[in-house]
Amino acid sequence: MITPSGLAETLLWGVANGCIYILLATGLSIIFGVMKLVNFAHGQLLMIGAYLAFTTSVILGVNSYLAILVAMVGVAIIGVAVERLTFRKVLGTEKLNEIFVSLGLIYIFENAAVLLWGNKSAQIPSSINGILSLAGISISYDRLAAIGIVVVILLSIVFLMKRTKIGLAMQATSQKSDAAKLMGINIEKVYVFTFALGAALAGAAGALYGIIFPFSPTLGALPTIKAFAIIILGGLGSIPGAVIGGLLYGIAETTAGYLLGGIWPDAIAFVLLIAVLIIKPTGLFGGKGE
Amino acid sequence: MTRFIKLFNLSRLYSRRFIFVIAGLVIIAALPLIIGSEYVISEVLAPMLIFAIYASSWNLLAFSGQGSLGHAAFLGIGGFTSALLAIKLGVPPLLGLFLGGLFSAAIGFLIGLTCVRLKAWFLGMVTFGFSVISLTLVSQFDSVIGGIMGFRTPLIVPRGVLFYYFTFAVAAASIFIIYLIMKSKLGLAFKAIRENELEAKMTGINTARYRLVAFILSTFFAGLAGGLYAQYIRYIDVSIFSPHFSFLPLMMAVIGGLGTLSGPLIGSAIIVSIDAYLPRIDHLLQGLLGSLFPAVSNVGPPIRMMLLGIILLVVVIFAPKGIYSVIDKAYAHLLNKRAAGKQ
Repeated sequence: MITPSGLAETLLWGVANGCIYILLATGLSIIFGVMKLVNFAHGQLLMIGAYLAFTTSVILGVNSYLAILVAMVGVAIIGVAVERLTFRKVLGTEKLNEIFVSLGLIYIFENAAVLLWGNKSAQIPSSINGILSLAGISISYDRLAAIGIVVVILLSIVFLMKRTKIGLAMQATSQKSDAAKLMGINIEKVYVFTFALGAALAGAAGALYGIIFPFSPTLGALPTIKAFAIIILGGLGSIPGAVIGGLLYGIAETTAGYLLGGIWPDAIAFVLLIAVLIIKPTGLFGGKGE
Repeated sequence: MTRFIKLFNLSRLYSRRFIFVIAGLVIIAALPLIIGSEYVISEVLAPMLIFAIYASSWNLLAFSGQGSLGHAAFLGIGGFTSALLAIKLGVPPLLGLFLGGLFSAAIGFLIGLTCVRLKAWFLGMVTFGFSVISLTLVSQFDSVIGGIMGFRTPLIVPRGVLFYYFTFAVAAASIFIIYLIMKSKLGLAFKAIRENELEAKMTGINTARYRLVAFILSTFFAGLAGGLYAQYIRYIDVSIFSPHFSFLPLMMAVIGGLGTLSGPLIGSAIIVSIDAYLPRIDHLLQGLLGSLFPAVSNVGPPIRMMLLGIILLVVVIFAPKGIYSVIDKAYAHLLNKRAAGKQ
């Protein structure tokens, strides 16, 4: 049955899901914008973030929303290690090498997670259970909290990019890394910081995902593709594009689930991805194609 | 005929390398006589040959500067088509094997039409997406296909030594054709596109068309490998579409040596050996590390998969041209030493 309130609820849920994807896509987009690097293992960082938050809140008994911070810091540290040990070695060589490195990382992360946490599905116990019902629309507090947290994180990112020295250095590097180097910017430091920032966003997305949905070590692949669909939809390297793309995507996904049901919500990612690539390869807000 | 020889530059065949290839073929053909173990022949050597075709098909695509992260879609399409043709329509399995490759190439043509213009990672994403869509569709039409539960595939030849020689014949023919393609004018165009697409365009190469041709050829051999794979495990289900099968040919080609003819063969030999022999130390690993990782009942499989990832990383970072280049260098070094000794 399709009802107006059901549809409104679906839209709201879509916005909440979209927020998680926005975090993931923004991280991917920042890394791509500054480093011109495509990290196919980004979804695995989300998965690790979810498990770190899970362990923190279940074993240490920390509030699940504080565990988000732990996940962000933890995944950022992993991000630094990944950048220094792997991606830095292939940056500037053939583009395909980055894809190969990402694939190697996917195998390592997924199976490390299987070793550490087992192959079962897990979910982070939320600290604020309950459902808000208003005018026939109901949404869990967790989803509302996710929307709020994502807004706060995104505002901090905008502040970081526009008002801080490292943010300006990132922008300069993203526009022309050689010129930035000549201006005395330490490109390598910018790269490490950028990758860590992108990873931290994936970690936060993972913790939020783990509070709302159950997850397992093989979670990573689909979110990566969704994040890609979003940044391609919104235009590569554009943060506003990622936000609008993420919201559109989240809504499209839940609506497809509501109207068509079954397996369609996941298939929609690819249909969108392929459609955008054929019709407008630069994305809705993208300037120049890459 | 002379045109054919010119087209494929057959005169280049009679080089020293060619003698090596012939020697290699004779050795591979004689392996069952030397080894004699039924297990090794049908569980190790036969899959090595099948994956050699599959990895070579991926390698051919990479040879034209493209990359697919969803080749499992074509492996699966080939496998399902050949099996279904034999079961539902009574097509002879041998013909079905070939038709599976053709059907896979037809689908490859349609996918290629939309995405050969895309840059490396976009193409990777779209092909990956296509493999997931294939899985979704095959599961959706389960009442017709029956892929979720899977089914037995009608065999062309019985298992054992006979099946080994059958896969050997198909693999040798496929890889020889891929060799001819790589050495032909077509291959030269692929290489030009890979090295510099803009320059290739300027010399009058219709890059989109050649990339599409590479895509079709690659998906044909992937489909053929899929049919053979279904013959090998005598059974097929939707798990053939899983990302692991998409990533395997890539890992084999990259680990062995991207863009070389023998690279995928080396990679296939390494990865199939890991799959076949490393499970034997599972109980040892479990005894050593089991108490450290109580979350899993057997630490062997995840550690093996991690090992694949680590090998891929190490090769890409330290030997970007693959193990083939390492062997090549070692061989050249040895030759130099001998030459120096003679002086």
